[in-house]
Amino acid sequence: MARVFIYPATSLILSDLVARFGHKPLGTALSVRERIQTAGLDSPPLQMTPDDAKKGLKWAAVEVPSGVRGRMSLFGPLIDQAEAAVLVSNPDFAFGCMGCARTDELVEYLVRRKDIPVLELNYPLDEEEGILFVRKVRDFLRGLESASPEKAS
Amino acid sequence: MSNDTVRIAQLSCGPEYSGVQKEIYTAAEAVGAEVFFPDLSLADIRRNFRDFGLDVRSGDLKLAIARAVALVEGSVEADGVFIASCFRCAEAAIVRNELRRYIHEHSKLPVVSYSFTERTTSGTLLTRMEALTTIARRRALLARERQTGLTMGVDSGSSTTKAVIMQDNGIIGTGWKPTTEVIASADEVIRLALEEAGIKRDDLEAVGTTGYGRFLIGEHINADLVQEELTVNSKGAVFLADCQHGPSTVIDIGGMDNKAISVLDGIPGTFTMGGICAGASGRFLEMTAKRLGIDITELGPLAMKGMGDDVPMNSYCIVFGTQSLVNALAEGHSKEDVAAAACHSVAEQVFEQQLQEIDIKEPVVMVGGTSLIQGLVRAMGNLLQTEIVVPHHSQYIGSVGAALLSSGFVEKN
Amino acid sequence: MIDTIPPLYAGTVTKYVFIESFKATPDDIAARAYEVSGGVMIKETCFGLQVTGPEEEVEKVIAHIREVDPAHIYVKDRGFPPGDPRRCRANLGGARPGYFGHEFEMGFIRRIAAGLEDLEREPSGLPASGDRKQIHEGLDVSRLMEIIEQEA
Repeated sequence: MARVFIYPATSLILSDLVARFGHKPLGTALSVRERIQTAGLDSPPLQMTPDDAKKGLKWAAVEVPSGVRGRMSLFGPLIDQAEAAVLVSNPDFAFGCMGCARTDELVEYLVRRKDIPVLELNYPLDEEEGILFVRKVRDFLRGLESASPEKAS
Repeated sequence: MSNDTVRIAQLSCGPEYSGVQKEIYTAAEAVGAEVFFPDLSLADIRRNFRDFGLDVRSGDLKLAIARAVALVEGSVEADGVFIASCFRCAEAAIVRNELRRYIHEHSKLPVVSYSFTERTTSGTLLTRMEALTTIARRRALLARERQTGLTMGVDSGSSTTKAVIMQDNGIIGTGWKPTTEVIASADEVIRLALEEAGIKRDDLEAVGTTGYGRFLIGEHINADLVQEELTVNSKGAVFLADCQHGPSTVIDIGGMDNKAISVLDGIPGTFTMGGICAGASGRFLEMTAKRLGIDITELGPLAMKGMGDDVPMNSYCIVFGTQSLVNALAEGHSKEDVAAAACHSVAEQVFEQQLQEIDIKEPVVMVGGTSLIQGLVRAMGNLLQTEIVVPHHSQYIGSVGAALLSSGFVEKN
Repeated sequence: MIDTIPPLYAGTVTKYVFIESFKATPDDIAARAYEVSGGVMIKETCFGLQVTGPEEEVEKVIAHIREVDPAHIYVKDRGFPPGDPRRCRANLGGARPGYFGHEFEMGFIRRIAAGLEDLEREPSGLPASGDRKQIHEGLDVSRLMEIIEQEA
């Protein structure tokens, strides 16, 4: 079972498909859960504190807006532990963790730069594309079981 | 005044992820307000975003735009709007600016916009939130155009404390002192104002306080009105400048922070406050006067004789600004030119950092102690390409506003 | 709303279960979940269920309910436990941001279902290899049957 970073990191479809085909989806729900279940934090709604923006300095410099750095403290550790990634490039209307385009650009870049297999897709526009979409994800995930680290596309 | 909870719609990108959302909640709760996120369906978000026409990429900014349209159209009700985005984000700055303008032009909702960092605290946001709630709760009081009875206003600022006594729509006593110990300074300026007016404390029919020390002084003198300086200064400015009807712009460059307020019929519509460094404050002008070996009251006339264009000085930071000052003098520039450059530098920072956040509509009224520095007023007028109005008693603006508004309590008392 | 909230359901996971099935309503799925729920908390929602509990038990419940209609039941992790006051719509005054993302994806989930159904029909499925799959002309028989049953 591989740890697979998904983008959009809040995607129901990607989370479902990765788990359905036997791998562990790495989405921001995991990062949020970790904070929500940490005692002593008191910073609703996400229990994110100014410290998260400081932790984000690992991935983005201090002149980068605090919202980008804070979001990176959610995404960054997931990217660090990812063994593969599935990226969908046309999320259109995505909010919250995914609501900052600058963060999204940085996340995509960091994933591509990492030496792991990456599958890049677009959301399907019809059922025919849906069939291809699911097959590509399935085949990519199957390939992880024996794959050497090379990029898929 | 109604104590009903004031509902403030939040349009934002980033505060949850910067760890400052709780600070927003805390500031709102402290002034009896509740922050909420306008509820829309995805279909409404798509339609509103498309109709607005600003094609940004970030999802949360699209959501903020869609929510703003819903507020203007009235499909979501609110008493005020708080627009917030990350400091240094260009995309968000464009959205913040356009939404503020859009809401101001198409509704009567008061708007405050703010760019935060992870260091933003509820204390920083408190006065802004308080102003939003004041406008929502005290519209009737803010509509007051004449002072009645015998009232006093005390303005406890970061640099100076001021008191004004008014009777039958006129000023009959004033007091002014640098702020040292907050209560002692207030007691002293009240004594001075009472003495000039020739009345006793017990003769006063109502009292109001404003400024940083408003709560402390308000309790100390048992004030009828304790109100933040954004609404009070706006009221004082349009009263003294005789522009109570229609649009106007109020600029108050203070000792510690600056206020820029877009006013309609005496009530703030949009405003910004502070947020920049001391190089753009009255404090820098005090430093300049000290370095030039003159009293602050002499700085204005001196600057009027100088030409600041040749003196490089444009730092946000008071330390670097002072360095430029020292360098300029060492290079042989005249005191007059250096004084003019310092005035231009402060005006330029305020223009670049704050006046872009509000709509400048004439008349532009400058108030507060720094409005007496003619060189600063001239520099601001040059930047805005307009004749700046400096009303009489402009340094007492907060006290005048508080005395005027507190007369709403005269009949009650 | 800003009072300190102690960690709720520490050590558990919460998963959303989205149901877009003509074979079973969320009620049916909930009933099936209760069959094996044990100590797991099941909360019914407008889109399906939220299942909260120790991870292994949650997975067991999900595997059980997926069997009803595998291509039309979708699962994802949720950071918050159900009804958390920090994320509750009633407290926020509006939907949590993630809700719209789900609304967006559920708007075309039928396309994903088609892909999953396709795999069910061809369990050994050919690799996609980037090419468009040969699509049969006209309406697929199983899809036609679904429509008939939905209309019934």
